Amino acid sequence: MMRTLMEKTITFLSWLMTLVLFSVVLFFIGYLLHKGLPVLGRSLVFGETDPMQAILGRARVFDGLFPAVMGTLYLVLLSTALALPIGISAGIYLAEYAPPAAGRRFGFFFDILAGIPSIVIGLFGFSVAVFLHKHFSGRISPCLLISALSLAFLVLPYIIRSTQVALESLPAPIRRTAPALGATRLQNLVYVLIPHALSNIVSGIILSIGRCAEDTAVIMLTGVVATAGIPSSLLSQYEALPFYIYYISGQYADQAELDKGYGACLILLGICAVLFILAGMVKKHLTHRALYKV
Amino acid sequence: MEQQEKIILRNVNFWYGRNRILDKISMKIAGQTITAVMGPSGQGKTTFLGLFNRLWDDIPGAKADGHMEILLDNRPVTPIRKDIPTPMLRRKVGMIFQEPNPLPMSIAKNMAFPLKLAGIQDKSYREAKIKKALEQAFLWDEVKHRLHTSALDLSGGQKQRLCLARALVLEPEILLCDEPTSSLDAHAANVIEELLVQLKTRCTILMVSHNPDQVQRIADNVFELQNGRMNPSDIPSKHLPG
Amino acid sequence: MKTSGDAIAKAFFLSCAGISAVMTSAVFLFMIVLGLPLFRKGSFMDIWMGTWSPAEGVFGIGHMIAGTFWIAIPAVVLSLPLSLGTSFVIAGLGGPRLRETLISLVRFMTGIPTVIYGFLGIFLLVPLIREELGGPGMCVLAASMVLAVLITPTMVLFFSHSLMAVDPAHVQAARALGAGRIQRLLYVMLPEALGGMATGLVLALGRALGDTLIALMLAGNALGMPAGFLDPARTLTGHIALVQAADYDSLEFRSIFACGIALYLFTTASVIAVRFIERGKKEAA
Repeated sequence: MMRTLMEKTITFLSWLMTLVLFSVVLFFIGYLLHKGLPVLGRSLVFGETDPMQAILGRARVFDGLFPAVMGTLYLVLLSTALALPIGISAGIYLAEYAPPAAGRRFGFFFDILAGIPSIVIGLFGFSVAVFLHKHFSGRISPCLLISALSLAFLVLPYIIRSTQVALESLPAPIRRTAPALGATRLQNLVYVLIPHALSNIVSGIILSIGRCAEDTAVIMLTGVVATAGIPSSLLSQYEALPFYIYYISGQYADQAELDKGYGACLILLGICAVLFILAGMVKKHLTHRALYKV
Repeated sequence: MEQQEKIILRNVNFWYGRNRILDKISMKIAGQTITAVMGPSGQGKTTFLGLFNRLWDDIPGAKADGHMEILLDNRPVTPIRKDIPTPMLRRKVGMIFQEPNPLPMSIAKNMAFPLKLAGIQDKSYREAKIKKALEQAFLWDEVKHRLHTSALDLSGGQKQRLCLARALVLEPEILLCDEPTSSLDAHAANVIEELLVQLKTRCTILMVSHNPDQVQRIADNVFELQNGRMNPSDIPSKHLPG
Repeated sequence: MKTSGDAIAKAFFLSCAGISAVMTSAVFLFMIVLGLPLFRKGSFMDIWMGTWSPAEGVFGIGHMIAGTFWIAIPAVVLSLPLSLGTSFVIAGLGGPRLRETLISLVRFMTGIPTVIYGFLGIFLLVPLIREELGGPGMCVLAASMVLAVLITPTMVLFFSHSLMAVDPAHVQAARALGAGRIQRLLYVMLPEALGGMATGLVLALGRALGDTLIALMLAGNALGMPAGFLDPARTLTGHIALVQAADYDSLEFRSIFACGIALYLFTTASVIAVRFIERGKKEAA
């Protein structure tokens, strides 16, 4: 009797907790939509400037989120481009080449790297910038490039791990097909293993792009500022959406600015949602068949 | 008529770490024969086949020792000593598996795949080779009009014959067959058996099988692998012709 | 030719893995070197345990370490029942369709930007706490509550994954003996999944200790020891984010490297703890 009572209580509480968790999150998102949707529109992004002129770089946007959106876009593209070759290669090494002992040792480092708080990565990037400033060139200070390098470092372990897991989970019959026909390791990788693992690798990459887009702690130490316009070079300061949201939460002057903050939240959430859905679709639909073209 | 010995093993051991999987295996196999290895599963039959094409190369802790010689291009080679580059060895020692494993591309591309790996570019040479191998595998007539359709649409038996043809395209001297018919229905299995008997004029065949009837029908020598030891089997083998 | 190409490729892949590992260690070395002036000055223990007293030239981060745990531990404690309940529903109580839906939702939640949680916390939770419970509003409680929501998805994924990884034959056997859903969950799946769930707990704690934005935006960042949940506190991460001294050589500025070292060591400890748990799991099996 006691036992069934306990079981019933646990069952009830489990459902209740699930309900609480999802209500909280749905309430958050609902509230965001409620506050942000009315603001969403052309003037939120472009202010008074003509969108075409802004996109072509002919006019500056003073009163909109356009520079922050572009800053985030630059950041994402740069840091992904920096992290991909190293991350994928390291993942390939771990999955296909590393002897077990070396694999475990490297794995330890990458687990630590994955766990280092992003603010510490940001501090590292900041220190490197200061170091370069002192010893090499006075032109170098926290900037877009330093941020992109730091973010690349932040997402590196995710790219390594998703590449490694995608390759390691290929079944033995696929692994030995090409070697039995005289393929070298590299040929096996290029012609068989990577094509078969590609959808999982790409889906991991897309999720790490999401992390680049949303991270605030790394960039706040490495060059993001509240107003900079669209960055003119890799060495200039820049704006970014998540930092804008952080900045507005403490520094808003009036209701209009606060509303823009909600709008920025909605745009950022939208970007992350799109990336999330994209990653799911890639996983489902980008099969290796697409690569072989029959 | 005395046939040349193609394969000689003397006291060959195979280890995974400290576990001895194969224990002092000694055997002599003449060329152009079918040799079958039987025995309970988990006794290292696949490992035994792997000795000949170094299938265990990438597996950490795997190690073989002892005296081993196979004749490739009339030259003695010791696979376990690594005195020949692995890709080279595997082109001369073909292998097919229990589950047919065509790649997800067209029949023609599957067939061209080993040639591409070997760096052979000449298109007409490739095509001639592919046709010949498909004929040897009794598959040419069935697929000649659909060479550019996906290999995954073939039936199970056809897939296995495609994999066989794909291995033959490199003209191997030794062919390793790891339970080649166990995933097929009786009819498809018969076709493969017939095929192997025809093929032994071209290459020396080593096969692992669970099926005593099959072994009796096609094998020239039969061995039993038990607790890592290799012994001649009680199952009567087909007598050598001539 | 082919083999040499193979060797070059291998060397390239290895060096990429090597660079990543070396960089990971470089982070630590950089902070040690840059924090050195701080360690030379004053006693070593003062830095870690001491209070922040600029007037006396002491820049101890003891209160930040305490503040970090003051916020992270309650967050994990709050998150635990939510995570357990949700993962029970996912792994056993709900049907397969509900399971798929909930897992996708939880995955999506892991991708919601932290800064958005912080933003909503400021405008929804902080005023509520200030009006209903008193105090400044920006406090340990506000940060812990939002942080709990932030780390719950990670914990749920780990918990439900461990529960569902239990040998289906054991679950099937229990079902054949007439065990209901909750009974299979509690008496068959849960005991076997405990190791994996412990891993999830450690990782969630690590995430809570290392998060910057929530505490920075919601905890008030006051220097000093919090006396209760309604007091403000400053975390190690928040301290790093806040010190923007113009003088890079001041001891005040150098203190952020001590914070970085502490956080790095927490991370390393949690990775070692996870390895320990996993090894225990393997030996038990």
